[in-house]
Amino acid sequence: MSVNRESATGVAPVAEVRDLRVEIDGRAVVDGVSFRVLPGRVTALVGGSGSGKTTTGLALLGEYPRGARVGGEVRVATGGPVGYVPQHPASVLAPARRVDALLTDIAWMQVRHLPRGKRRAAARALVVRALEDAQLADAESMVRRYPHQLSGGQQQRVVLAQALLLGSRVVVADEPTTGQDGLTKRRVVGQLAALTTRGIAVVLLSHDLDVVRALADEVVVLREGRVVESGPAERLWEAPRHPWTRELLASEGGPTSFDVGVTRSRRPVVRVRGLVARHRAGSRSGPVVLRVPALDLHAGECLAVVGRSGSGKTTLARCLAGLHRDHDGDVLLDDTGLPRSLRQRNRAQLASVQYVFQDAHAAFDEHRPVVRQVARTAVRLRGADAEAARREALSVLARLGLPEDLVRRRPGGLSGGELQRAALARALLARPRVLLCDEITSGLDTVTRRDILGTLTELVAERGDLALVLITHDLATAALAHRVAVLDAGEVVEQGPARKVLADPRHPFTRSLVGTAEPAAST
Amino acid sequence: MSGLRSFVARRLLLGVAQIVAVVLLVFALTEALPGDAAVALAGDQPDPARIEAIRTAMELDRPAWERLVDWAAGLLHGDLGTSLTSGRPVTWYLVDGFGPTLLLTALTVVLLVPAGLGLGVLAARYEGRLADRLISSVTLAVYAVPEFALGVLLVTVFALRLGWLPPTAVGHGADLLAHPGVLVLPVLVLLARPVCSLVRLVRAGMIDALASPYVAHALRYGVSGARVRYLHALPHALAPAVQQLARTIDWLLCGVVVVETLFVIPGLGTVLLGAVGERDVPVVQGLAVVFGVVTVVLNLGADVLAHRLAPRAGVAA
Repeated sequence: MSVNRESATGVAPVAEVRDLRVEIDGRAVVDGVSFRVLPGRVTALVGGSGSGKTTTGLALLGEYPRGARVGGEVRVATGGPVGYVPQHPASVLAPARRVDALLTDIAWMQVRHLPRGKRRAAARALVVRALEDAQLADAESMVRRYPHQLSGGQQQRVVLAQALLLGSRVVVADEPTTGQDGLTKRRVVGQLAALTTRGIAVVLLSHDLDVVRALADEVVVLREGRVVESGPAERLWEAPRHPWTRELLASEGGPTSFDVGVTRSRRPVVRVRGLVARHRAGSRSGPVVLRVPALDLHAGECLAVVGRSGSGKTTLARCLAGLHRDHDGDVLLDDTGLPRSLRQRNRAQLASVQYVFQDAHAAFDEHRPVVRQVARTAVRLRGADAEAARREALSVLARLGLPEDLVRRRPGGLSGGELQRAALARALLARPRVLLCDEITSGLDTVTRRDILGTLTELVAERGDLALVLITHDLATAALAHRVAVLDAGEVVEQGPARKVLADPRHPFTRSLVGTAEPAAST
Repeated sequence: MSGLRSFVARRLLLGVAQIVAVVLLVFALTEALPGDAAVALAGDQPDPARIEAIRTAMELDRPAWERLVDWAAGLLHGDLGTSLTSGRPVTWYLVDGFGPTLLLTALTVVLLVPAGLGLGVLAARYEGRLADRLISSVTLAVYAVPEFALGVLLVTVFALRLGWLPPTAVGHGADLLAHPGVLVLPVLVLLARPVCSLVRLVRAGMIDALASPYVAHALRYGVSGARVRYLHALPHALAPAVQQLARTIDWLLCGVVVVETLFVIPGLGTVLLGAVGERDVPVVQGLAVVFGVVTVVLNLGADVLAHRLAPRAGVAA
């Protein structure tokens, strides 16, 4: 993709932040941040969670956290509000309205000068053109759908189209690639690059260094609300001056592999045979979304399930966990078949298959202390008494690096990474035979991700009887597993030892996936 | 067949089963009551021989199940039977009673929906401020007052003390529309509690919706506040309110006995009360069928509408 890299001199900035300071309850979350945003350029604000990049990005939109004290100056060139593409594009699409609801409202504001009779057609034409500009295929029929009927990528294009329709000169993209697979990432990069060719300035907020590498012209590295380093992208990659930047760049490498001196049994814990899962639409059986002729999970082994979003990875895990009832074929635990629905599974069966979800915040009740929710697993699924469960919960949580005073808090008092560990602890308290981890690291920054994967590695090594299923779109994560199963459009296209599959992929899809997982900087 | 259509079909089948169950239950309960239509007809000084004669004439001496089967056979031909006490077809009772009840229901709903939505949105918009606190506390207070108490209070104040409005509809027969004055107090009493519950539901849903990223996003892009509130946020807040509204309409259409009796309105509630008093089993059963159908249809409609408003939830029977 072509990204402008001309000299910045002589071009007037479309937005400028000077000495921005945002204080909440006397604590500065952003302190003395300054940078300029040039038209047709990508300015990346890089940093982990809590670095202040989102607060800075929202300041460009003129939005500040409630009760914040703001100092400094944020200037944005006139001409259209600043566009915004959030991390989860679905969150800005009204769920009960069709996807063109906001687009149509924006278009109506632009056709007021026309005679009444012509406005509807003109607005409609504007909407469709904006969607086509945002590269949404089949825009005419897409606008009749509801947000949940679009894929994440399509939702993102709709949100981009809103900014294009508005005529924004600056677009703020907040973590646009977090939780996306390699191919999707490349597509997002392409889209943001296309914005710059229209002369639109992109402010990229990200901890995903691959994407920053591929896109950014200017990089601003933030840490704890302060700019630690900023400058042209090439200079920063070649010669990072600040130690933190160097650490950030270094943390991209993964943790130690799962494959370290663990004795693996050849006895499968779970065998999947002839699994064909469908999506229900009302009562009729819908299209087949997953076909797994045969798949074994072994004790002491980590299986990575990789594929693009929508390839059926999560459906596979849901079938194993009894959350997706609509499937044929067998899921055998040891030698007994597991009932399809978790309602028909007994306590021991429920305990033996545990699920850790991607969104740890959503997986906890926000009103009860974390430790009580974690301990509850042992009470519910193993019949432990409350006090013993509590003690066990505390020891497992401590083992995962969460001290007692932390887990006495409610979920709101823990960071995303800490909550994800708590969710792991909760699953472990059931003493599962199979642990399903569904994209549990994809929302986290590189440093936290490395820690969690390290913890998982130790767990598998420690508990020799545990079979771990790691669902991920991130091949660097998958490479840590013993075995890999590659899913594409619901079919298992390749499975085998991780090293072999990833180093020497045989199926064309795996090859394309492996090809794109390399840092997109090579493009 | 689409998912929604098969959902509707299944729900209608289930509804028929529900109505059958209601009819059986009502029949059994009326049988279990002491006395029967013959006793009620015989008057103040019942002579056992006379009661027996009436009983034979009405065929009440036949076993209960035979009478039920006869009635059910008639129902299949659309015949709800005849009243035991007057000999008039049950259908006449229903048609006569339905008019006033439908009128009250329609008036109440026409006022209820805009008032409930408007006040709910207003309270949510000014959450925690004076308007919200006023609306929230008044709705809570009014919700706590039962219909009969509010009715008696309104009649005392507006009809008896101030003399602004007639206290009851006595003497106007079923033609209530010709005397709109008699409708004011009943409609107010019927409105009071449903408005409160609707306001509170809409307020809660709207507070969630107004705090959502999609509302912030629409405002950010310059869409007017009112448009965002009513077209972007409100649809999301409506799903629970629609269910509540269906229950309210159901409650209204089934004749609110307390209100109809208090204001002497000859609606379905009054018909029901009279029929139970006279042990007029066919009329009671006819009403049970009508109420059952109303309930099933309204709830189904609400579920379909809620599905439209919360498209992610899918449908489940």
